[in-house]
Amino acid sequence: MGMIFLGLRNLLRNKSRLILIAVLIGAPFFLLLAMQSIGQAVDQQTAEMNKNVNTVLQLRARGSMGHVNMTNQDRLLPDKVVEKVRAIEHVTQVEPYLLAMSPTTLPNFAMLVGLAPTAVKRLESHGESGNPRIIAGRDFTPEDAGQDVAIIGQGYAEWAGIKTEDIERGRATFIVDPTRTHPVIYAVKRPKRELRIIGKYASGYVFGDLQLFMPIDTLRSIFGIDQGTSWVYARADSVDNVAAIAQRLQETVGDVADILVPKTAAIFTATTSRTMMQLAGAGGVLAFILMVVVVFFVLLMQVRERAREIGTLKAIGASNGGVTIQFLTEALAFTLLGGVLGLVVFRLLGEAVTGRLFALGLGPFLPSQYKPLFNSLSVSSHVSGSVLLLVVVVAVFAAVLGSAYGVWQAIKLSPLEAMKDE
Amino acid sequence: MNSATALIQLHGLSKSYRKGGEIIEAIADIDLEVQETGMVAVVGPSGSGKSTLLHMLGAMDRPTRGEIIVAGQAVNRLSQGELTRFRRQTVGFLFQTFNLIPNLTALENVELPMEFNGVPKAARLDRAKSLLERFQLSPRLKHRPRELSGGEMQRVAIARAVANEPRLVLADEPTGNLDSRSGQIIYEVLREISRERTVIVVTHAENLARLADRVIHIRDGRLLDAPLSSKPGPTVRSERAAAS
Repeated sequence: MGMIFLGLRNLLRNKSRLILIAVLIGAPFFLLLAMQSIGQAVDQQTAEMNKNVNTVLQLRARGSMGHVNMTNQDRLLPDKVVEKVRAIEHVTQVEPYLLAMSPTTLPNFAMLVGLAPTAVKRLESHGESGNPRIIAGRDFTPEDAGQDVAIIGQGYAEWAGIKTEDIERGRATFIVDPTRTHPVIYAVKRPKRELRIIGKYASGYVFGDLQLFMPIDTLRSIFGIDQGTSWVYARADSVDNVAAIAQRLQETVGDVADILVPKTAAIFTATTSRTMMQLAGAGGVLAFILMVVVVFFVLLMQVRERAREIGTLKAIGASNGGVTIQFLTEALAFTLLGGVLGLVVFRLLGEAVTGRLFALGLGPFLPSQYKPLFNSLSVSSHVSGSVLLLVVVVAVFAAVLGSAYGVWQAIKLSPLEAMKDE
Repeated sequence: MNSATALIQLHGLSKSYRKGGEIIEAIADIDLEVQETGMVAVVGPSGSGKSTLLHMLGAMDRPTRGEIIVAGQAVNRLSQGELTRFRRQTVGFLFQTFNLIPNLTALENVELPMEFNGVPKAARLDRAKSLLERFQLSPRLKHRPRELSGGEMQRVAIARAVANEPRLVLADEPTGNLDSRSGQIIYEVLREISRERTVIVVTHAENLARLADRVIHIRDGRLLDAPLSSKPGPTVRSERAAAS
């Protein structure tokens, strides 16, 4: 008890040493907390970005565009493909589409797209863009399934002479004629069908505006296609699972389907997501090692520089155990003080300083296309209790180890040798 | 001289160490007896082995050969725990550089050996104050070493050395870092405490050595026969003396 008290008394008597060592220990403590905070922020940000990354895989019949009336490109995916895709783990949504072509002013043509009313309105060749914006009328509702209704692209509406006000008033119609031909479109001997245009959309690019969306069953009945699907879109639950799903698709339906994996998902996984997590992880490990090394050597040095004092204490009757307890008490107190200092500074300045640390330390390693996304990285100065406990336990362990090693080196010597060892 | 009453008995004491491949013999086969109470000066030039002798007497260093018996204890046969108790209770040590604990006050420095010795707080506080008063340091009780003069620091060190009332006080060049006036005061204090115990002082200052009850001369690690002191001579049996 006396040596513990002596250790604490020693600690408080030399304030400049106390401050210096607390700062030396507090600095790596702060850095470690900052790195774990960056790690958490990167984790959250990556998860947020994952949500916005295209994780949709497209399937088409092997070697075919899957357009029901296109010369040599009219082979469809069998219906069993949809069921097999639905059964794959991590696939959260499966959307079948049926496509047909319709001539406009030669040599141009438009696309007729059949889909579930609530499905994403995907654009031919730009399927991953998805979801054109309704600019007049209304969107589909589930009740539109099987009805003779359609939503037309603004370019197609212009070509067909369909006025916006007619759409708004529910008076616009469009006649689909499956018998019309084109150099790459053959006639399907089916009657014409008049569809009510309930809405008009804009997609942002010219060919995208030349499409006519309708319920898939409506398109089936117009072209007399009872079975088969042009495209199937399968959404993965996470960007991390895209590759595994692609592999599974290859195994189960690869014999009948071409599988198109979204490039953005692959790039994201291969670059930003993985790189960021690796960098944040490496930064955390480095900060952790730095803290352990700094705490160990600071405490070792603070004992080593007092070898003369240890020799004197032994010369006037202190036991080895007593000296050890005194210095370990000091080490423990130094570490806890340094830890508190690091924590307080982190709570006060963590958000501002950590953001800068991130920009300086990790920013330069980011793939250029993703840097803007991480400018909005939200770093919190909150520290979880479990992380703090782990850091403190490790720091105390390093401190005790460093101090005990220094003390052991001194007490194994005679008092005289210890005094000369400084 | 009656060996049975001697406080210190050295038999064939030697200390050698290796320096750059060469074996240096710091102390060579010394036999010596020192009686209880009184002041003994060990005098010799630098490197003669006088400090080495003192360190071995105080269990600060171990001999290469020979036996050291202090207050009936064979010092070089003591276990680590017994050595600690020996340093705590039997000897007090004074250093040329004072070696006070820098973060403690004068009072706390004097209390420290008593704390190690398990003396209750009130008793050690009383004794520490009384010792510091005895050495004219009452106004300096709460001062830390850096706030004291050299002479004051050495007087605090003397108070610390005698705190546990040891039978032997060993002083290694206690005036080496002091001016002559302060050195004289320290010698007077040492003479005063030597009335109750044995004080062995290592010095190369002959004038101060003359104040001692006995003077032991040492050169090249060996004790010399003829004391230079006019005071009653020491009980010395050096290697040469024994041979003759």
